[in-house]
Amino acid sequence: MSKHEFQYSKRCKAGEMTQFLLITFNGLTLGAVYFLVASGLTLIFGLMRVITMAHGTSYLLGGYIGYVVVRETGNWILGALAASVGVGLLGLLIHQLLIRKFQDDDMRVALITLGLSLIGTDLMLAAFGGTATQVAIPKALQIGVELPLLGTYPLIRILLLLIAIGVGFGLWFFVNKTRYGAVVRAGVDDSQMTAATGINIKVVFAAIFAFGSALAGFAGVAGGSLFPLMPGQDGTYLLFSLVVVIAGGMGSIAGAAIGAGLVGLVSQFSLVYFPTYALVFTFALMVIVLAVRPQGLMGKATV
Amino acid sequence: MSTDQTTSMRRKPRLGAVLWLAFLIFAFAFPYLVDRPKFWIPNIGIKSIWLGVVAMSLVFLNRYVGLLSLAQMTIAGISAYGAGFVIVKMDGPIMMAIPIGLLVGTLAGFLIALVAVRTKAIYFLMITLAIGQVVYSFASQSIEVTNARRGLAPIKREDVGFMHFTELHIFYYVALIVAIGCYVLCRYIAATSFGLALQGIKDSPERMSALGYNVNRYRIAAMTFSSFIASVGGIIMVFDRAQVDPDVVALPATLDILIVAVVGGIGSLSGVFFGALVLTLLDNFSQNLTERYMTLTGLVFIAVLLFAPAGLAGIGKQLSALFARLKGPTIQDAAEADPPQTSPAATAEDAQETQDELSKGSQR
Repeated sequence: MSKHEFQYSKRCKAGEMTQFLLITFNGLTLGAVYFLVASGLTLIFGLMRVITMAHGTSYLLGGYIGYVVVRETGNWILGALAASVGVGLLGLLIHQLLIRKFQDDDMRVALITLGLSLIGTDLMLAAFGGTATQVAIPKALQIGVELPLLGTYPLIRILLLLIAIGVGFGLWFFVNKTRYGAVVRAGVDDSQMTAATGINIKVVFAAIFAFGSALAGFAGVAGGSLFPLMPGQDGTYLLFSLVVVIAGGMGSIAGAAIGAGLVGLVSQFSLVYFPTYALVFTFALMVIVLAVRPQGLMGKATV
Repeated sequence: MSTDQTTSMRRKPRLGAVLWLAFLIFAFAFPYLVDRPKFWIPNIGIKSIWLGVVAMSLVFLNRYVGLLSLAQMTIAGISAYGAGFVIVKMDGPIMMAIPIGLLVGTLAGFLIALVAVRTKAIYFLMITLAIGQVVYSFASQSIEVTNARRGLAPIKREDVGFMHFTELHIFYYVALIVAIGCYVLCRYIAATSFGLALQGIKDSPERMSALGYNVNRYRIAAMTFSSFIASVGGIIMVFDRAQVDPDVVALPATLDILIVAVVGGIGSLSGVFFGALVLTLLDNFSQNLTERYMTLTGLVFIAVLLFAPAGLAGIGKQLSALFARLKGPTIQDAAEADPPQTSPAATAEDAQETQDELSKGSQR
């Protein structure tokens, strides 16, 4: 991923401005993938106060499902759908079997999901091998578009950015403007009181967990169309989504968007200007945010 | 055995001590019990020891401070790098490398604590995990300091005076004694007024803060101490592996420590060595059973979390509770249900100290 990005940006030496814009766009599209992964994580955490360490595994599994379905059918949308539904159902199953009982014990949930991620990583390695694969994108989308000041830019990246923005607004609308969103928000603020008003909070929990997992699965297909899918990526995406969620503030969709954008930009810019220590910079961003604002950029001060 | 445990409260601690002694004797006789010492001593024995020591530092933090840190292996790795740097890059003697490694690891732990201590519970877990990844990415990319992916090698053991470290048996016994020393030190620190204050902070940070304790400063001090223990584990590791490379601080290594701590019992300082033994045995022998070593490890890990949250160290207690329940409730059950207490003398001292603090507060 990183090498490819680097060469890509190196190729265009049409001027400082162009390069700057190009890195910015690359950073934003990378951030779009991070946002798709992290929004599920932040939603689950915001409502249930548990963090699922198997989120990166959901991402990679979604990517692999998408890869197989697209290879067999040639339909990208079908692949994305299959990945979302498949990973969402698996998330539901995991929630019902392993997490529901320990809802109040966040540490134990974190550890159990960590164990699940160990198993998932190993089984995926057995099923798909160690070589990198990528979800095939339709021929019609494998073109570049002319952008002012920037020159040619891959269409698929712009589409991905739009998809992430669309998902972001969809989530925001759902959480802030619909009745179901109001239930979710009530559950975030006080799950016991919400249950007392006659809402079956357990169903809400299960649905959000499944939905968050489905988002990760979808992100796997979206991200897997741009970046390679291979063992180790699950850990990478888990860590990056943790960084995004921590920096942005847990439970906040807007925070996840800002965090993802920042992480994407910082990692791309440092990759170009300080290639050796790009990862260090990205994580240092989180450390700095936490040192200044422990609850994250958009987090509520109570946590 | 289990029925024995339930029949008499007074005999229980003695039984625990007997088990402990048996394990200790086993540990000391270990090099002579195995058929292929060249394989067993480094791959099972010494590896269990350093895994256990690093996991012990994690358990110390979790049990006495209530913080679950995933940076312990990172700190151990930093101390290993410190020692490796002195030996490989500076051509220094082993007797200089060890203290420098310990110092570097402890200092790194202190710096990590300064940042991480601002967060709590699950946030703390995540930030220590992320800091670990910063160190990993630095270690795997910095050619000048860590030789990047190639790592620092060779790091050979040397004879120092009459201590023939090159001899595998001697190295094993030194490591074992050091590990026991770490255990005793952890227990000692936990029983001092500092340790009692830590436990107070674990139970109720607000109250301790109201009593005038600087909660964060205590947490930083505790993390620095546990970093020292982790660094000791790192030093044993570097001489066991004879090299140090980025894999040492990678995510799987971090998870290994967590698995050891959870399987051994996240509340038990000595249980970690059982956990370490289970992991090293799985690591070395599960290939005979299945190719999917990680899956097996993950299943064991989840099974422990689901069915024996106190780990292997707590299984005896769990079994006796089960037997007691089958026999019907007794008064001893209630007594047994109490969490293990510190010695009465220490508790009295603590109360006295709290009293002192209180009077100090009122005088102000």
